[in-house]
Amino acid sequence: MLRMEIALILVLGFVAYIYYSAERTQTALHRTFSVLLAAALVHLVFDALTLYTVNHLDTVPRLLNDALHRVFVGTMVLVVFLFYQYIAILVEEETGKPRRLDIAARVFLAAAEVGVLVLPVHYAQTPLGNYSDGIHADVCYVSVAFYLLLCVGLLAGNWKSIHAKKRFAIGAALGIELSVSLLQGLHPTWLISGMGITLMTLAFYLTLENPDILRSELTEQKMSMLYLKSQVNPHFLYNTLDTIRIQAQLNGDEKVAQLLMRLVSFFRHSVKVDRSMVTLDEELELIEAYLDLMCVRYPKLKCSVDVAPELYEAQVPNFILQPLVENSLLHGLKNRGYCGELHVAAEKKGECLTLLVEDSGSGFAEGKKQKIDDMLRHYVTWEPKLTGNSIGVLNVQKRIKLLCGKAYGLSYEENELGGVTARITLPWRQGVSE
Amino acid sequence: MKLLRVLLVDDEIMIREGFKRLFDWQAHGCEVVGEAADGVQALSQIEQLQPDIVIMDINIPIMNGIKVIQIARMRNENIAFVIVSGYDDFSYCREALKLQITDYLLKPVDYEEFGACIDHLRISLFERGAARADEQEQGRTILQLTRYLQEHLQEEVSLSLLADTFHLSAAYISQLFKSEIGVNFLNYLTNIRMERAKKLLVSTDLPIAEVAEKSGYTDYRVFTKAFKKAEGATPSQYRRDFEVQP
Repeated sequence: MLRMEIALILVLGFVAYIYYSAERTQTALHRTFSVLLAAALVHLVFDALTLYTVNHLDTVPRLLNDALHRVFVGTMVLVVFLFYQYIAILVEEETGKPRRLDIAARVFLAAAEVGVLVLPVHYAQTPLGNYSDGIHADVCYVSVAFYLLLCVGLLAGNWKSIHAKKRFAIGAALGIELSVSLLQGLHPTWLISGMGITLMTLAFYLTLENPDILRSELTEQKMSMLYLKSQVNPHFLYNTLDTIRIQAQLNGDEKVAQLLMRLVSFFRHSVKVDRSMVTLDEELELIEAYLDLMCVRYPKLKCSVDVAPELYEAQVPNFILQPLVENSLLHGLKNRGYCGELHVAAEKKGECLTLLVEDSGSGFAEGKKQKIDDMLRHYVTWEPKLTGNSIGVLNVQKRIKLLCGKAYGLSYEENELGGVTARITLPWRQGVSE
Repeated sequence: MKLLRVLLVDDEIMIREGFKRLFDWQAHGCEVVGEAADGVQALSQIEQLQPDIVIMDINIPIMNGIKVIQIARMRNENIAFVIVSGYDDFSYCREALKLQITDYLLKPVDYEEFGACIDHLRISLFERGAARADEQEQGRTILQLTRYLQEHLQEEVSLSLLADTFHLSAAYISQLFKSEIGVNFLNYLTNIRMERAKKLLVSTDLPIAEVAEKSGYTDYRVFTKAFKKAEGATPSQYRRDFEVQP
């Protein structure tokens, strides 16, 4: 029997390891399961200990035996209570109805734990093995019966409004615990309560708490957030901004009106996401609006866009300049207190169009140049960090390679202003290519 | 010169207020005679007030702007409609072009840009009148001046050159433009140059540089910039957009 206990501890220990190391949303349900898992593990340890001590009554001091036994039963009542709690939260999540049985469950828990502490422990000794019986052991059975009854009540009362998969999980767990408890009641020397608890935990783990499900919950949540974000109508945003602009102008605040005008213009140009290629001119309008706004926010910033009108028609991938300009501002000029210059320029050499974003910022930090070069060279396999701006830059590189060919792309170099220059080379294409 | 009567149609009161109070109607020879917040109201106002110009949002309640224009056009084909549209009703705009909309502007409306649009309207009204003028009227100074400008568009023309040619004072010519057409000389000149350029872009395959030259711009760059400022698109974009139209 001891071997079985050790096996159970190992199984639950493994489950706990996987569970605690998995990323998950912090809902009441998952938190309860975490506590349940920990409590079940502690309980199993004491289960194993008492399994030994109860069968060595003559060698183990009575006091130690009793103490261990009380902790064993105490944790068992707690675990069963947590099972109830878990199921109650699950049902609440499913039905949206508040948990009304919690108070009864907690009062019972308190009473049972007091009973566990004060009631006398008695051991029955049989040729098949020893076990505890009498009023102390009855606390166990009564608790299990009580909480199982509550759970069955919850399940039956909300049968229709619980998702079939979850109904099955709860039903299976309750069925297992019920049968194990009955067997234990009929064969007191089997001492299999630990098995019941382990199997019940496992039932929930496998059906509702395993890493795949946790991960999909997490992604679902993130996705729905993204979805929601994309659903906020951009037109609502800039129509409202425009109304505010007019109000400002009516109030005589030309400056604010102008700023809002630029902001609306920036938004308007950034919604043109449906095309993969745009004209350089469209791209520059976005950048000009963006730079205008940044220059108002940081008056020491000097920005210029120097592109000859004959290049306006050049076809460039949509939204490739803004990430680079933002990068220059955040990683170069920010370190200089936004005091410095930023130039955007374009030139045509033969069949190539070169776009430059130059800043007089802080330049490359130690080793940074190497890292960026590596990233841009191994753009296919590079795993960007989720924080920071590298995703934007990497994305620019990927899109250029995809839309214009492998011969073109983005590179970074140091410049004579002490800062960094981003250089995009593109094939010279003009006119329609949609 | 008669003040042009303007009706404002937009479901947002702030937009109407902005138009009413932030744009110098007087300076552009116009007066706002009424406003409407939905399509049906717009129609009844058009009927009642007989405006010359209707500034019109497309996306308005009860009956959309396109419908209003269609119906109003059937009753009075001389009304000029200026569509002011949010990006969301862009799809309407193709339809709008079929209805011979005089002009159309994207929100947010820059009142300066709007001024150019009103000037353009005045000029086309003037030109429509000029085309219908009889022989006797053709002799009027303003018509002689504008005809001369149309014919010498490719050359470098200026107020003083015009004054020398017609033996008039520059100040008088300037004043004449203001009182007869309602726009100043320079705006008029830019406007007819742009009209020429647009016509050439759409109806010919001439390279942009040649279009620029024929429209009176010696410098291709200056032309591109001016065109973009006036039309919101570069010359080739403009040509392309037109080709895409069915």
